[in-house]
Amino acid sequence: MTAAWQPPPTTAARWMVIGEWRAHPARLVIGALAIAVGVALGFAVHLVNQTALASFDRAVRTVNGAADLQIRAATPAGFAESLYPRIARTPGVAAASPVVEIVAFASASTTGTANPAPMTLLGLDVLRAAAVTPSLIGLPPDRSSPFDPDAIFLSRAALTAAKKNLGDRITLTAANTSRSFTIAGILANTGNDQAIAVIDIADAQWRFAQLGKLQRIDIRLAQGMNRAAAMAAINARLPADARLVSPENAQASSDSLSRAYRVNLEMLAMVALLTGGFLVYSAQSLSVARRRPQFALLRVLGLRPGALTVQIVLEGAIVGLIGAGLGIAIGYGLADLAVTLLGGDLGGGLLGRGEVHLDFSAPAALVFAMIGIAVAIASSLVPALEAARAKPAIALKNAGDTTDPRHRPAGWPGLVLLGLGGLAALGPPIAELPLLGYAAMALLLAGGVAAMPFLARALLAPLQNLSLPAPLDLALKRLWGAPQQAAVALCGIVASTSLMVAMAVMVSSFRGSVDDWLVQILPSDVYLHIEGAETAGLDPTAQARLAATPGVAKIRFLRQIPLRLAADRAPVILTGQPDPAASIPLIGRTIPVPAGEVAAYISEPMVWLYNLKPGDRMNLPLGGKSRPVFIAGVWRDYARQFGAITLADRDFTALTGDRTRSEAAIDTAPGTDPAKLITALRQRLGPVIGAQAMFAEPRQMRAVALSIFDRSFAITYALEAIAIVIGLVGVAATFSAQTLARTREFGMLRHIGVRRGQIMTMLAAEGALLGIIGVIAGLALGVLMSQVLIHVVNPQSFHWTMDTRIPWPLFAGLAAALTAAAAGTAALAGRRAVSADAIRAVREDW
Amino acid sequence: MTSPPALTVHQLAKSVPGGRRLFHNLDLTVAPGEIVAIMGESGIGKSTLLNLVAGLDSADAGTISIAGQALDDRQDDARTIIRRDHVGFVFQAFHILPHLTLAQNIALPLVLARADTAASLARAITMLANVGLPGRGGDYPAQLSGGELQRIAIARALIHDPALILADEPTGNLDPETAERILSLLTTQVRASSAGLVLVTHSDCAAAIADRVLVLGPTGLTPR
Amino acid sequence: MRILLLALALLLPAAAPTYPVVTPGKPFAFPRDHGAHPTFRTEWWYVTGWLKTPEGKDLGFQVTFFRTRPPTDPANPSAFAPGQILFAHAALSDPALGKLQHSQRIARAGFGLAETSARTTDIVLDDWRMKRTPDGRIRTSIAGSEFAFELTLTPSQPELLQGDRGYSRKGPAPADASYYYTLPHLKLAGTLTRAGTPVTVTGQAWLDREWSSNYLNPRAVGWDWLGLNMDDGSALTLFRIRDAKGAAVWAGGSHRTRTGQQTTLAPSDVSFSPGRLWRSKATGASYPVAPTVTVMLRGKPLTLRIKPLFDNQELDSRGGGGPVYWEGAVTVPGGRGYLELTGYQSPLKM
Repeated sequence: MTAAWQPPPTTAARWMVIGEWRAHPARLVIGALAIAVGVALGFAVHLVNQTALASFDRAVRTVNGAADLQIRAATPAGFAESLYPRIARTPGVAAASPVVEIVAFASASTTGTANPAPMTLLGLDVLRAAAVTPSLIGLPPDRSSPFDPDAIFLSRAALTAAKKNLGDRITLTAANTSRSFTIAGILANTGNDQAIAVIDIADAQWRFAQLGKLQRIDIRLAQGMNRAAAMAAINARLPADARLVSPENAQASSDSLSRAYRVNLEMLAMVALLTGGFLVYSAQSLSVARRRPQFALLRVLGLRPGALTVQIVLEGAIVGLIGAGLGIAIGYGLADLAVTLLGGDLGGGLLGRGEVHLDFSAPAALVFAMIGIAVAIASSLVPALEAARAKPAIALKNAGDTTDPRHRPAGWPGLVLLGLGGLAALGPPIAELPLLGYAAMALLLAGGVAAMPFLARALLAPLQNLSLPAPLDLALKRLWGAPQQAAVALCGIVASTSLMVAMAVMVSSFRGSVDDWLVQILPSDVYLHIEGAETAGLDPTAQARLAATPGVAKIRFLRQIPLRLAADRAPVILTGQPDPAASIPLIGRTIPVPAGEVAAYISEPMVWLYNLKPGDRMNLPLGGKSRPVFIAGVWRDYARQFGAITLADRDFTALTGDRTRSEAAIDTAPGTDPAKLITALRQRLGPVIGAQAMFAEPRQMRAVALSIFDRSFAITYALEAIAIVIGLVGVAATFSAQTLARTREFGMLRHIGVRRGQIMTMLAAEGALLGIIGVIAGLALGVLMSQVLIHVVNPQSFHWTMDTRIPWPLFAGLAAALTAAAAGTAALAGRRAVSADAIRAVREDW
Repeated sequence: MTSPPALTVHQLAKSVPGGRRLFHNLDLTVAPGEIVAIMGESGIGKSTLLNLVAGLDSADAGTISIAGQALDDRQDDARTIIRRDHVGFVFQAFHILPHLTLAQNIALPLVLARADTAASLARAITMLANVGLPGRGGDYPAQLSGGELQRIAIARALIHDPALILADEPTGNLDPETAERILSLLTTQVRASSAGLVLVTHSDCAAAIADRVLVLGPTGLTPR
Repeated sequence: MRILLLALALLLPAAAPTYPVVTPGKPFAFPRDHGAHPTFRTEWWYVTGWLKTPEGKDLGFQVTFFRTRPPTDPANPSAFAPGQILFAHAALSDPALGKLQHSQRIARAGFGLAETSARTTDIVLDDWRMKRTPDGRIRTSIAGSEFAFELTLTPSQPELLQGDRGYSRKGPAPADASYYYTLPHLKLAGTLTRAGTPVTVTGQAWLDREWSSNYLNPRAVGWDWLGLNMDDGSALTLFRIRDAKGAAVWAGGSHRTRTGQQTTLAPSDVSFSPGRLWRSKATGASYPVAPTVTVMLRGKPLTLRIKPLFDNQELDSRGGGGPVYWEGAVTVPGGRGYLELTGYQSPLKM
């Protein structure tokens, strides 16, 4: 066997391959296209995600400067500034730069736009920052004072967002205070992505109510210092409300932001590629079957079996190469389009402000091209080995189609694969990714396809004994008698249908669950959100003023702050709200809170990410201390993938000392016009905070939420559509190949008096039967796979669950469309075969 | 120095998978330039004998040598090489590849043996003239009649100067007039090349060109 | 080196807070005046001197702590309010190296990380220190990437009040002045660490203390300063402030004998003759590194030919926004000290 793996004679191989493609160019095109689509999707998704990740990473790095390490406050309230000298004196710390970091808005009145431009306002000690994060220092072109309280330095993005120029005055609002500055310089080294404003730290503390507080300390370590030892020394000095973050942590947390989403899409793209592979497989195996006598002749004339295998695989590899090249080009175009149309995160809403630049990545292109080629080669391997194994003397005399109706296809390989898939679905996540879930999907798919011959036979068996008109009977007999061939035709259609069905069920389940959830969490009539309220929201006076507005029947105030629980995870959202148990969508049981303990309700993702369950206790780093809380229940939250914790507002105030609120839910008095009420409320907020206030009614919020949902799944809809197209192309290609291979059969039938119309009917019936079998198998397999998506992949990657909803109308439409398309393409392919010269067809040897 | 026989078959035995014995103790020697016709009833095993000689099938017992090289005990791969280098084929159904030009079809045995492409094609053009189709190297088989296709097949069978040519009913698909012309072409070409020819046929006309006519029966080959 | 601080002070905007004006006749009180005078705009503790290594090699060194008071809103209660900025600079002149090594620290005062005392010399700037002990000794320690030292300076003579009892004129206007006293002939002992190897050093040093709100006249483009510890125990201080043409805007200095007989030099008593010029390949500036100075001392001219320890004692601090200047160890027959030459690469900008 080993000696047999030799390259085929180049000239002969070239003649054969070129001759074949000149005779059947469509086959080459379809195979290459199938690979191209898979490669294109995979590459596009990868590019877009890499770009999004890179720009996200750039954003994080930009705001952080280039510090070796960073101490970050657990909440926007910051930590006590007395930590700064303690850190500065820690052995191993070469320089420590204290930072005030808050969200500020360039006021609408000065930008002249309706929306205030948000930016990250940094208060820096330039003398310290110079040694740690030099990129954050703005050099005044006119050598004015670096400590000038009137001077502000803006990044280019901030300058653009605020529509300002160097030397202009700019008014920033944060912490309920507005203050104007002169733009003294540009932060030239911060790139063009991030809106950043830098002022002196003393002024930032004083003017924006941060006296005594810092949000950050940037650290440069001494050269040659043991990093782990330094980090340990720093950690030993940290209070409860501060976290030591290394660039790797920051990377990990920004990576975790989009990782699940990205991996999901890339897996989907791989699945599309796999479908393409099935298509290549079916095209190649048909083409090989049709050319069996040709290969036999070559064998007789002296082509060695190994060389024949290599030649056929090479043919597949060339198809793969062309497809992969095409796919890379299309993929880049797709990615460019997606970034332009949907934004860097494909509408996922993960990226904040800032623009995205698409970078072509040669190594990634190479990897995806190689995958495409590998799929094509793998798909050709089975038919190639089969062709080499065939006995040349017999194959030479026998024109294709050597099926024996007595042969019973085995059901067990499919069942074993399906069983393995089921087992894999039960596995845990690997590296926080549902890799086994995807393996389960792939195994189910493979199992389903492998079971097709058996299934086709089983499904057709009951029809065998019916007395049907001749064309239908012939069609039935053929499919029943040649289930392997039927399976080859079916594998593309089953693969694409089942994947599409799985995605459709998952998306419709998800969307339905989100819709229900939105209704549950938005019971009031009007909602108020204060944008950028991390530093300060509505104080008790403002709350009382709003509550006293005529038309307000009931108003509930909420406070939301980001809370950093772990250095390498994105912050969770901590909410304080009245009577949480009654107003959040709790799932599962709630546990009575022991006397004297604080009840906390955690969202579903917290269960997965922090390994918590009701009845556990956890510590919240609030107000400089670790505050123990008791987890009383879990609630469903589709909004915050990284977790949320809800406390009763009394407890929230007690633990944080923060009496301000950032949102309000308002029940209107009967007969109140929400629009007028919003106007009245806005007036009572005053101009400063009014600029940051956003009002919405549940109806709008639901519409917005669902449109965001649809936008983020736009790519999956596109993938679905493409999967369908691949499936249909596969059916068409397979049918046309199979009917062409059966030209002699049709010629014979025509000779014995079967009318042309009857042959067409027979082919259409075959197509329709195949379509129906494919749809039934695809639906069943797809629903099975959707359960893996819903119960394994989604919980493991996004950490939330949902209730299954079957999109019946879509299924009905899909079944009809696929059956009709299969019948139509079959008949269409048949027209060509039937119109060929029947006499010549009989005489022809292949 | 005398060259070895084109074909030596010694004590060959073969049964079909069902267990029925086709022949045993079969002996046959074909000298270079000799034409041997093998006749016999349908299903008696004439094609099987040809397949065995070509190394396409394995015998139950006995030995086969082509141009002095034994086929027995060799792997399929090695037998393929002997076949490629020393055997030429002419089939009843012509087996000309439809998407190769006539010259390419004829050159196939040479390029399969990795000969230089240009030289192979040049030789194919010469062969094409030899079989009476000069200047048609660029045509495709679809443009040819059955007799013309068989001329191509003869040219292909001889292009690599094989020691042995195996012809299985070469005139079975041709009208008598064409058949006669093909047989005479085959004879001329074989004689010119000094290859041995084993001709399996039902046709007495065909058998008439042979130096020896043997009949295949259960006991082996007997002269007619 | 004084120039570095002035460059820093120039970063301050014109709308400065009201700084105290330097006036004549204000009596000095020690140790109080060894401490900081934070209301004044600028102040320095400026040590120059010669070190002798155990192998008997001579090195020049300089270590300076500066204080400056930028304009701030006094109402700002933030602990980060930049009321005082501390800056420190150290340099080492090793003829074997043929160029200067230097290091620096800068911070806004506060949090115990950067502090001065108003009672005596007690300065902290990150890991750098300068502290006077009650017995009058001054300890200073600095650490840089190329060298570190810990020195103890012991006074052998009382404070030398420059100018008119410490009121030192720097320009034609009476307000162009500083409070200025010197501790010459400081005995030095300590440790110098280079490449991780500490060696014991001895030597002699010179401390200049100066604080002011208005140091430099607008016409000035640079200055030359010279401080010499003479072997006979006398101390000679000379300075000259130059205009764009190279003429003296102001000049002055002092001479004090070992026994304490002090002569204050008027502008007309001091003359510099440039002598040999050394051209820096790095910056293109030409410095009179071996000038001849003549001072009128009690009616008699005293001429001193100055010889640098080596030529390239130039310091380019443009990378950090500072100036290019020459500051190095020099000898004269019968004495040794430090010479500073500024404004030769480009005029000092006001």
